[in-house]
Amino acid sequence: MAGTRTDRDLQALRLVGTFLRVGVQNELQYRTNVLFSLLQSGVAVGTSLAVLALVFSHTDSLGGWSGDELLVVMGVHVLMGGVIRSVIQPNMQQLMDDVRQGTLDFVLTKPADGQLLVSARRFEVWQVVDVLVGAALVVVAVVRLDRPVGPLAVAGFLVALLLGVVVIYSFWLLLTVLAFWIVRVDALVELFDGMYQAGRWPVSVYPGWLRFGFTFLVPLAFAITVPAEALTGRASGWLLLGAAAFTAALFAVTRFAWRVGLRHYSGASA
Amino acid sequence: MDAASRSDQPAIRVRDLRKTFRVAERDAGLAASIRGLVRRTHRDVEAVAGVSFDVASGEVVGFLGANGAGKTTMLKMLSGLLFPTSGEVSVLGHTPSRREREFLRRITLVMGNRNQLQWDIPALDSFEMNRAVYRIPDAEFRRTRDELVELLEIGDLVRKPVRNLSLGERMKAEIAASLLHRPQVLFLDEPTIGLDVTAQKRIRGFLAEYNRRTGASILLTSHYMADVQALCSRVVVIDAGAVLYDGGLRALTTRFSPHQTITVQLPEGVTDLSGYGEVVESSPDGRTSLRVPTAEASAVAARLLADHRVSGLTIEDPPIEDVIERVFAGRPSAPVPS
Repeated sequence: MAGTRTDRDLQALRLVGTFLRVGVQNELQYRTNVLFSLLQSGVAVGTSLAVLALVFSHTDSLGGWSGDELLVVMGVHVLMGGVIRSVIQPNMQQLMDDVRQGTLDFVLTKPADGQLLVSARRFEVWQVVDVLVGAALVVVAVVRLDRPVGPLAVAGFLVALLLGVVVIYSFWLLLTVLAFWIVRVDALVELFDGMYQAGRWPVSVYPGWLRFGFTFLVPLAFAITVPAEALTGRASGWLLLGAAAFTAALFAVTRFAWRVGLRHYSGASA
Repeated sequence: MDAASRSDQPAIRVRDLRKTFRVAERDAGLAASIRGLVRRTHRDVEAVAGVSFDVASGEVVGFLGANGAGKTTMLKMLSGLLFPTSGEVSVLGHTPSRREREFLRRITLVMGNRNQLQWDIPALDSFEMNRAVYRIPDAEFRRTRDELVELLEIGDLVRKPVRNLSLGERMKAEIAASLLHRPQVLFLDEPTIGLDVTAQKRIRGFLAEYNRRTGASILLTSHYMADVQALCSRVVVIDAGAVLYDGGLRALTTRFSPHQTITVQLPEGVTDLSGYGEVVESSPDGRTSLRVPTAEASAVAARLLADHRVSGLTIEDPPIEDVIERVFAGRPSAPVPS
C-alpha cells in the first residue's frame, strides 16, 4: 500500500513537472511581458520603500519592529505576491472561468486528482520576477540588520515561507470553491487582493480585532509575518509548530470544501 | 472474467435512468426578483425520465432529440459528471459517477461548443499535458499522436497557438487531444456544431475510420442528420427525457413517416391522379408526386403502371430531416384520404 502511495505522489510530481514545463515554454513567447513585470515590480518596491522611509523619518520603531526588520516583512510580502501572481491567481482565475463556462467538465473526466489539475495548469513565469526581487529585499535587509542571522533562523524562515505558500494557496482555493455555488466570485477575489496589501506591515502593528482577522480569517499573519518573525529571531519553535498545525488544518478544510463543491457541481448533494 | 466473455457485455448499459433538477422559479420583473431573494419557490424538473438502452462494444449510436430533450444530461451521467437521481448506469463495467481512474482512462468526452485545449498554446503542448494526465507511455503516445495527426490532416496546425486556428481546425485538434489515450467509449456532444460542410465531412470520415480501426463504441449527439446518417446504424430518439424510439435509422423513417412519395412521369401531360393518393406536386410537363401510405405504395405503383402509359416512376422515403422534424414536433403525419 505504501508503495502505491509513493507511486501516486511521484506521478503527481511528474504531472506538475510537465505542466510547469509547458507553462514556461509558452510564457517565454511573450517577451514583452517581462518588461511589464519588471516595471510592476519596480513601482511596487519603490512605493513600499518610500512609505517605509516616510514612516521612519518620524519614528525609530513600529510595533516593536525596526526599519530593517520591516524591510524583511516587505521583502516577504513582495516575494509572496510573486508566488500568488505567477501560480495561484492564474490557476484560480482559470478555475472560475471553467466553472462559468462549463469547461470544468474536461478536468473532471480526467483520470487524475481534480484539485491537483486545477492548481497546476497555469504558470506565469514572468511574475517570478517579484519572487526574485522580494528575495533580494530580504537579503539586503538581513545584511543591514544589526545582529547576525544564524542557520537555524534561515531554516525556520524557509519552512515558514513554504507553510505560508500553502496557507495562501488553500485560502485562495477556498474562496474560489465558492464559485460552485455563486458563479461570480470575482468580487471576493478583488477584496482579497485589497487586503493582501495590508500584509506589507507585520500584523502586530494592527489593533487587536484586525490582528485576529489577519491571522485567522485572512491568514496574512501566517503567510507573511511568521516567516519574517522566523528570520528576525522573533519566532519560537512553538510558533512554527503552531503555524504548521494551522496550515495542515486549513489545507484539510480546503480539500474537504473542494470535495463538497464537486459533489454540488455534479448534483450529488442536491 | 476473461476478455472474451467481457466483450459480450454491452459497453454501455442504462436501466430506468432518471435525473431530476431542482430549479428556482420566479416571475419576470423587479418585484418578483426581490420576492425571490426572500422566499424562493422551487420546481422539480425531470430532465431524464426513465431511460433504458444498451450500446454494444464497437457500436455507433446516434442520440437524437430536440434542444432540452435531455441528451446532454444523459451524456453527463454516462461520463460521470452528473449523479443520477435514480436508475442504473454501467459503462465498461464501471459506475460512472464514482469517477474511478480506471474508468476515466477508458472514456472520452468531446463537446463541440467547449474547448479543452488551452487557448494560447499550440495543440501539441496541450497533447503533452494530456500525455502526463493519462500517463501514456512515450512510444505509445508518439505513435497515437502521429496517427491521429495524420488521419485528421492537422500536421501543420498543431504547432500554432490554438487561438490562431479556424473553428474547424480547432475541432480537429480537440478531437485528437481527446483520443490520445485510445478510449474505448467516446461521448461526442455535437462534435460538428458550427463547422462548414467540408470540415463536417472530414470529421465524420475520421470518426468512421477511428471506429473501424479501434472498435471503440461511440455515442453521438448531433443536429446534423448527415452526421447521423453517415455514422450511426442505430439511433435513440429521446423526447422530454424519455426514449421515443430505439432502432435502425431506416426503420425510424417507416415508423414515424408511414408515407412514401411516388413520382410518375406521364408522356400524355397533366393528368388528374388524385384517385391514387394525395397529390403533392404536379408540373405541366406531366410529372406528378403522390403521397401514399408505405404499405400501399407498391400496389398504387402497380395500378399506375397498369392504368397509364408511364415513362418514369420512383418511390422514395421522405428526407430524414423531415422525419426527425416530425418526431420532435410530436405530431403524427396527417392522414391521407383514401
